[in-house]
Amino acid sequence: MDFDMLQARLGEIARATSSNFQKLPGSAMIVRYIQSSYQNDPVRSAIELVLVLFFIRYLMSPSYSTHKQNFVKLQEGEIEELIDEWTPEPIVADRTAVEEIENERLPVIVGPTGPKVKLSNGRTAFNLASYNFYNFNSNEQIKEKAIQTLRTYGVGPCGPPQFYGTQDVHEKAESDIASYLGTEGCILYAQTFSTATSVIPTFCKRRDVIIADAAVNYSIRKGLEISRSNVRWFKHGDFNDLERVLKAVANEQAKSGKLTRRFVVTEGFFEITGDVTDLPRLVELKEKYKIRIILDETWSFGVLGRTGRGLTEAQNVDPQQVDMIIGSLAGPLCAGGGFCAGSKDVIEHQRITSSAYTFSAALPAMLAMTTSESLKLLQSNPDILVQCRESIRALRAQLDPRSDWVVCTSSVDNPILLLVIKPEVVNARRLTADDQEKILMECVEESLANGVMITRLKTRPYANAIAANDWTLQPALKICVTSALSKKDIEKAGITIRHAITKIMTKRSNKAI
Amino acid sequence: MNDRSAGGRRRRSSSILQVYHEPPETLEQMSDQAVVPNMNANWTNQKGAWTIHIVIIAALKILYDVIPGSSQEASWTLTNMTYMVGSYIMFHYVRGIPFDFNGGAFDNLNMWEQIDNGAQYTPTKKFLLSVPIVLFLISTHYTHYDSTYFVINFLATLAVVIPKLPFSHRMRFSFFSDIPEEE
Repeated sequence: MDFDMLQARLGEIARATSSNFQKLPGSAMIVRYIQSSYQNDPVRSAIELVLVLFFIRYLMSPSYSTHKQNFVKLQEGEIEELIDEWTPEPIVADRTAVEEIENERLPVIVGPTGPKVKLSNGRTAFNLASYNFYNFNSNEQIKEKAIQTLRTYGVGPCGPPQFYGTQDVHEKAESDIASYLGTEGCILYAQTFSTATSVIPTFCKRRDVIIADAAVNYSIRKGLEISRSNVRWFKHGDFNDLERVLKAVANEQAKSGKLTRRFVVTEGFFEITGDVTDLPRLVELKEKYKIRIILDETWSFGVLGRTGRGLTEAQNVDPQQVDMIIGSLAGPLCAGGGFCAGSKDVIEHQRITSSAYTFSAALPAMLAMTTSESLKLLQSNPDILVQCRESIRALRAQLDPRSDWVVCTSSVDNPILLLVIKPEVVNARRLTADDQEKILMECVEESLANGVMITRLKTRPYANAIAANDWTLQPALKICVTSALSKKDIEKAGITIRHAITKIMTKRSNKAI
Repeated sequence: MNDRSAGGRRRRSSSILQVYHEPPETLEQMSDQAVVPNMNANWTNQKGAWTIHIVIIAALKILYDVIPGSSQEASWTLTNMTYMVGSYIMFHYVRGIPFDFNGGAFDNLNMWEQIDNGAQYTPTKKFLLSVPIVLFLISTHYTHYDSTYFVINFLATLAVVIPKLPFSHRMRFSFFSDIPEEE
């Protein structure tokens, strides 16, 4: 009896459920689907059923992260303890003994800078320590224009180039540089130093190969570091060694079947040795091994060539053969900032992806204007360069062959004369880099005491930069020629420097004996 | 440069099929990945990105229907195949990121592994897995459970479902070649 009732009840529930189910929207479709899907094919139906069940399981699973927790969870007490224990490191490290001495004796200029400067101790000196090769610094025409621009545009553009920072003067300066160099386009950067540092990572990324000269400057080294690329080095100025590295890279890539972009980075005039790159040979290698060239013309732009167009003009290379030409506007042009010139695509790519361009305020308008004016002067009057070269020759004649102690590593056209202590002297006296640094510092002082201000190559940053294994940096004196001084003055200055070096070296040798 | 890590890929003797996993990212790579939000993968979380799958499937169906002489079976199978091939290429074949903000830090990861920073069973991943499964069930239904069409559609579905499963996260196969070495 009870059993019958239960059965009737169950039947009722089943009927109610089924009628409820039929009331659901779409239920008829599901019934039809299930009825038609079986089709007397149990294997296929089972596969579908498994797929559906798996699908439901996937939808039900809770989400989780696949990254391992890379931090330790600390208790409140532990955190307090760590904070108490912590002593901050000084933001700026204490000065070393050398820095202390350096700072003490730093000459201070009173009034405007120029070929002859007044020092804070009341004396005047020849200034052979600024990159003011053509004395555009005191050019009235440029000054006038700069002041005018300052009055109309204000000091800073108050924004990055892509964010209201670009003004007509910037575009004019860019097109001026591009037409001066003979490239399709040009992009202005606000700082010379960050130009190379930013251009390199814009184009190179992980797994790309960059082959760099062992003696490239600090700015390039920073760029190589940030680019995350695979950096190889070749011996300074040795293109046979470069070819060896290129062959090795080509072999490796052929073997692994993975082609990447390949770049060669080098400088026009090298900042730390002063010599010049053989560009035609480099272009030849570029064609042979399919590489891109990044040429840093920071020190050769506005200096080399008949009208100062740089290395490409001096060595008769089509500037469009060089993929990226990086240059400075801060040196001889007496403006500020840097630029990168190249094909249109190369330039437009930088406008959105180069970090120093997108994240830094644009170049002040007056500096862009100064750039245009300086270039105009250089183009209209190539005599400026001829005069400067005569001064270089006059100064060099007093120093390089005549001095018993130092030798000039710079190329003959380079207005920056880098003097290093002769290798035989270094070997005979067993001078370490620090010793040389000290000697050169004394030479700088001695020469300043006799009325000629010169400076030294700054070697300290290179201690922390990436470098080839067997590469060492030799400390050097840095003497910057200026064509504003008469030939007589230049010669006098050269003699003073030579005597200062001799005095220090002989004094030292006497002491050593 | 510093991408080499202790738990990197290990060389094994050469054989027909090699299975290995992408090594975990180094600290340098992780910091490069975090420079900007991953624009290559983040858009998949948006409503429009979900809707577009259905729209594309409908458009494909219409396209194959208007081809003269195509049967319902062929048209559903072609729609299914096209979607599976397309989504396989997009989510599992192409690696890296089309933007230049990370210095190549995503070069080893396909789009599926970049979505939601590699997390599993997230709503987007659940949706993206459900689309091929539902499409498969529909297309087998409308191909009237013909066994040939069933096999074709089923294999195509497996090809996009298996790489989406958590166990195949960062898993790589190499045929007749050595495991690529990190430089």
